[in-house]
Amino acid sequence: MPNIVACFKWVVDEAYIRKGASGALDFSAVDYKISDYDRNAIEEAARLKGLHGGSVTVLTAGVPEAAKGVKDALSRGADQAFFASDPSFSQLESSQTAAILGEIIRFLIPFDLIICGEGSSDQYAQQVGTRLAENLGIPCISYVQKLTIGEGGRILAERRVEEGVEVVEAPLPVLVTVLPEINTPRIPGVKDTLMASKKPVVAIKKEELLPVGAAPLQTLGMTATRMERNGEIFAATPEGIARFVEALQKRGIIS
Amino acid sequence: MPGIWIFAERKDLAQELLTIGRELALQTGVKVTAIVTDQDDQADIYIAGGADEVVLLSPLAEDMSLDAWLPVIAAETKGADPDIFLIAATARGKDFAARLAARLETGLCSNCIALSRGEDGTVVMERLAYGGAAVQQVSCATRPVMATIPPRTFAPAPAEHGRSGEVRKLLLPPTSPVRILDRKIKERSSQDITEAKVVICVGRGMEKQEDIDMARQLADLLGGEVGCTRPISEELHWLPDDLCIGLSGVQVKPDLYLGLGVSGQIQHATGIRGARVICAVNKDENAPIFQAADLGIVGDLYDVTPKLIEALKKIKPLSR
Repeated sequence: MPNIVACFKWVVDEAYIRKGASGALDFSAVDYKISDYDRNAIEEAARLKGLHGGSVTVLTAGVPEAAKGVKDALSRGADQAFFASDPSFSQLESSQTAAILGEIIRFLIPFDLIICGEGSSDQYAQQVGTRLAENLGIPCISYVQKLTIGEGGRILAERRVEEGVEVVEAPLPVLVTVLPEINTPRIPGVKDTLMASKKPVVAIKKEELLPVGAAPLQTLGMTATRMERNGEIFAATPEGIARFVEALQKRGIIS
Repeated sequence: MPGIWIFAERKDLAQELLTIGRELALQTGVKVTAIVTDQDDQADIYIAGGADEVVLLSPLAEDMSLDAWLPVIAAETKGADPDIFLIAATARGKDFAARLAARLETGLCSNCIALSRGEDGTVVMERLAYGGAAVQQVSCATRPVMATIPPRTFAPAPAEHGRSGEVRKLLLPPTSPVRILDRKIKERSSQDITEAKVVICVGRGMEKQEDIDMARQLADLLGGEVGCTRPISEELHWLPDDLCIGLSGVQVKPDLYLGLGVSGQIQHATGIRGARVICAVNKDENAPIFQAADLGIVGDLYDVTPKLIEALKKIKPLSR
């Protein structure tokens, strides 16, 4: 029965980011969430456990406030959580996150299969899963839209590539990164949330980990993209539509 | 040894990388090395496009995965120690690049859309973050500076005849534990929306699959193509995923973009930024699409679209 680890990131919900003065990003009204595709990763782990038994462990590295995300993850079918937290973990670079997750998995969590989302909804660097596989020295299958555990401890996966799909297999242990279309993440109910509070969480402090190395990639700046346009609004009346068509003509779109 | 390396699994993408690779190489007077798959000895094309050295990878066996080349390319890179290594951001390329960066213990700028040199010679790279809401500028403190470059970010390098370069071949790699059992080639949509002058985009406001006909009528009338938002292709499977517009889909640059029942989430809006005129029909006046649009009609698409079709029919003949 497979031991499955699903990794997730607690991120800013990008829908709440406002554009501040002078092109800076305004995070004052933001909410947080489990990164979109990581919800698919957790769901896939829970789905496979439903079929094959075994265990599902969720794992994250983040700021102490991410405890809310740990509880959320536990309400999605996981058995236990490992949570490495420190206030300095707010802006970890992909290689740093992969190093922390790798250390915890290697020493503390027995695993056959590790599932990550294909990329996080904040940075979307799409590197943590792949780097984690390298750190652990195990095969990696990225961009997976269908996952099956086959006979004899092999994993079968449909990996989406530009020209279609590659059906691949690899011996366990394996890391896969999943696409959103692999499943539909559950919406936890009240009972799930209550049960999540009773599930074990292993808290890991920064001091218990190897020193986190310097980030090779340095962020020099982050500016809001300019997206706003005139936004002339027309009513859905015959006159409004006629004026809308005129506006298109004026812009030379239609003659 | 200083130098700019590029690696792409397809010829057209290698040619795009050569454009930026050569530009960066000229700034510091270093050489460009192109790592490409050996296809009937096409090394001349890459040399004409700006490569000073072409490294040909022998074609992989049917069941072999691209990552089989990882140990070989990692050893080559360690040996030559180039300044910059650019890799085409296909699915396989992105996977390959992240694993190579891990092996080389260096940073990787994913989905890099611009590279330039700062005054002190630092390579400054740009990418989109927060679903496209922000442009993130990064630099890399370790060697080599690595980046994956999305297709069509740069124009293909023009051929310059009379250039010379060296060509060498790499031996077959060891096998990867990942084995390919089958390849399913998807049918491409007959239309290419990235080239379309008019794009009518279908969003979640569309209630039934057959209602997409309305969008198609409008597209036909304006000589355009139909595209969609992510839920329409990924969740509902009403349209193929190569018509999905957005950060993780295709980016379109038509003269006219018209969203029908598109809410305009940032990931989608990022894919239409290049449109000359953005229009939207949505019954929710607070939908974010109206912020990104030039012209908007607040109303039910089921009411507005037929009226719009009628109004447009009246002013035919159209320019196309």
